Amino acid sequence: MDLLPDRLAWYVAGPLLGLLVVGLFLVANQPLGASGAYVQTMKAARRDTDTVGWRVWYFGGIFVGGALATALGTGIDARSGYDAMTSLWPTPVVALIVLGGAVTMGYGARMAGGCTSGHGICGTAQRSPASWVTTATFMATAVAVTAVLRLVTGGDL
Amino acid sequence: MNRRLNIVGGLFGAAFGFVLAAAQLHEYDTIHRMLRFDEPDVFFLMGSAIATSLPLLWLLERRKARTLYGGQLALSRSKPERHHLVGGALFGMGWAVAGTCPAPALVMLSSGAALAVVAIVGLFIGLHLRDRHAIRMVVGDGEHREIGPVLESATP
Repeated sequence: MDLLPDRLAWYVAGPLLGLLVVGLFLVANQPLGASGAYVQTMKAARRDTDTVGWRVWYFGGIFVGGALATALGTGIDARSGYDAMTSLWPTPVVALIVLGGAVTMGYGARMAGGCTSGHGICGTAQRSPASWVTTATFMATAVAVTAVLRLVTGGDL
Repeated sequence: MNRRLNIVGGLFGAAFGFVLAAAQLHEYDTIHRMLRFDEPDVFFLMGSAIATSLPLLWLLERRKARTLYGGQLALSRSKPERHHLVGGALFGMGWAVAGTCPAPALVMLSSGAALAVVAIVGLFIGLHLRDRHAIRMVVGDGEHREIGPVLESATP
């Protein structure tokens, strides 16, 4: 289907995300964040008794909402992903790189108490100094590491 | 109560995932172009999300707004500590390498990209490793606040 534009403009998507943050506060008095949903999903899988159930539903919802938007827009397309990397290296190598990055990211998110959504949007919107510091730190680090990757790969990445 | 909250969680998750996918934030290229300063859109997107929610939350807090299921609106603020800097730096490194973050990784998978499985599994491993090594839990800022007492005391 082609009901959505190929890419929703930032000036629509950004304010919409902002309203979702406010909305979840107004309904449940809770911050909107994704890494917390991972943590609770992990706890649910371990059958921990103190699992926050709605965050598991939230985790599943992200997946379903993403599938819906893709189906209405560009269409769901089975592929490997990471085209920019798979054109440079064999897929198993790319998988190892992505795995290493993701483990580091998960560890860091848990240590910092949030990720791009929890600290980057929701925490900054609550005017939490810790969130502003965390966000500035991961933004600056990500830009610097990307620049290093670009140098190391001779501009290919 | 729990059931209603679960449905709320599912719906907000779906709306969140929908917007992320519609804005192509689940694509490695989108994130990579932003971090290379090739295209400012994602910076503007994050900025406008904050610019929308920050003043609204401020206003609602000042008016002592009551939330539907959670009692009086309670925002949380905390002081920056070492673990925010170290954790943030690790997160930024991983973000740059994997070109995705926790929510977009889920959307990447639901859009059909198989390698997203690796990113999601890696995130689970990383979160779990930190859980095992953590001396104390981070409570009070970002999103891991659900460990706190807010929800338990807030049942209407």
